[in-house]
Amino acid sequence: MFKLLKEVFRTGNATVRYPFAPLPAAPNFRGKPHYDAERCIACAACTIACPANALSMTTDVAAGKRTWEICFGRCVFCGRCEEVCPTQAIALSPEYELAVLDRADLYQTAEFRLASCRICDTPFAPRKEIDYVVALLVQAGLPEALAELRRAMLEICPACKRQSQVSREAGAGGLHQIGVTP
Amino acid sequence: MSLQSATPVNAASPQSEREQAAQLKKTLLQDIRRSVYVFRVDSGGCNACDIEIFAALTPVFDVERFGIKVVPSPRHADVILCTGAMTRAMRMPALRAYDAAPDPKIVIAYGACGCTGGIFHDLYCVWGGIDKIIPVDVYIPGCPPTPAATIYGFALALGMLDQKLKASQYVETGDERVAVNHPRIPYDLRILLEREARRMAGYRQGREIAENFMALLEQDDARPIAQRVTEFLARENDPRLTEIVHSLEAICTGESVGTNR
Repeated sequence: MFKLLKEVFRTGNATVRYPFAPLPAAPNFRGKPHYDAERCIACAACTIACPANALSMTTDVAAGKRTWEICFGRCVFCGRCEEVCPTQAIALSPEYELAVLDRADLYQTAEFRLASCRICDTPFAPRKEIDYVVALLVQAGLPEALAELRRAMLEICPACKRQSQVSREAGAGGLHQIGVTP
Repeated sequence: MSLQSATPVNAASPQSEREQAAQLKKTLLQDIRRSVYVFRVDSGGCNACDIEIFAALTPVFDVERFGIKVVPSPRHADVILCTGAMTRAMRMPALRAYDAAPDPKIVIAYGACGCTGGIFHDLYCVWGGIDKIIPVDVYIPGCPPTPAATIYGFALALGMLDQKLKASQYVETGDERVAVNHPRIPYDLRILLEREARRMAGYRQGREIAENFMALLEQDDARPIAQRVTEFLARENDPRLTEIVHSLEAICTGESVGTNR
């Protein structure tokens, strides 16, 4: 009996004091994805990488907006979004206290403006993404003035790019030979 | 029996609560003066959630100190804890358990699958969340939720703690620009370093190691890089990290370009 009591006192209390005292998560714990919308370029890489479709992006061309959305209720905390994000806008944090009473509280959204095509004036890509591509070109060694010239090309939508390519080919007489009219 | 039903199979609507039951539930939440009995329903989960629930019952987390007790019959339950994505096979047992529980009852959707269907949300045999079948009061996300997250969810359900997560909307304003990471490191070198670190350490730790290494390269410091790297490695004292960082260093000095991959 005395031996047992001695053992009990030696071991002490193993139970954590959690709800009354904070419990730090273990190192490398994968908790709630922390999203910094100011660093996001709305490139949608995370929405493609997300295996559970917790991340989604919808483009509203009429309003010229793209909306990014995360549902914490569907997230499986794999960290693939963190891996693919080119600007480190999303990263897993050690936060685990995610329980909610209302399902709507599980959602976080961010809205971005789309840049319009220089030719057809249709919104097609996020403005921040185009700016980021120009910055990347500068980092890759292109002089800043030249990179700004490239912007004119970057701000044309894929459909208009194809159209101008076809017209150019047609002008050179390449497509008339196979019976395609632009 | 006709083979074609009028509604699509997955267009289920949750059972509605009676008004009286809703009133009773409010009083149950506010002044429950006894232990809370929990009945656990596995509605098609992978068992990871169940393992975490039992981890919450172990002496380390010990939810029984709050009087939270797992019972073997829904007829004793105050709380129905549902795990799993609500599969076609398990929806009837889950509904029967819900109906069998006496009336002021709280339903907790546990885990990513229970909340929204999780990674299984679009399978043909899955309803995608407990709340498609029965009304849910508390959602505990996580894949699986840790025992601490479980305790937090119960504390929220019983009104002991406040909710931390709130819905948030962000709208782009003004002329925001995103700067490139590590502007002083050439773009091609950055890609090589990130790729090598991920090849050796996996996608999550690899990224972290590459970031630390590039931060070290970018530091404004008079000492040569090799010395700074040696000091960093001595501080971390991890043979695995040493191996990876030496490999990254070799890429920087141009020793191993084209040989390692």
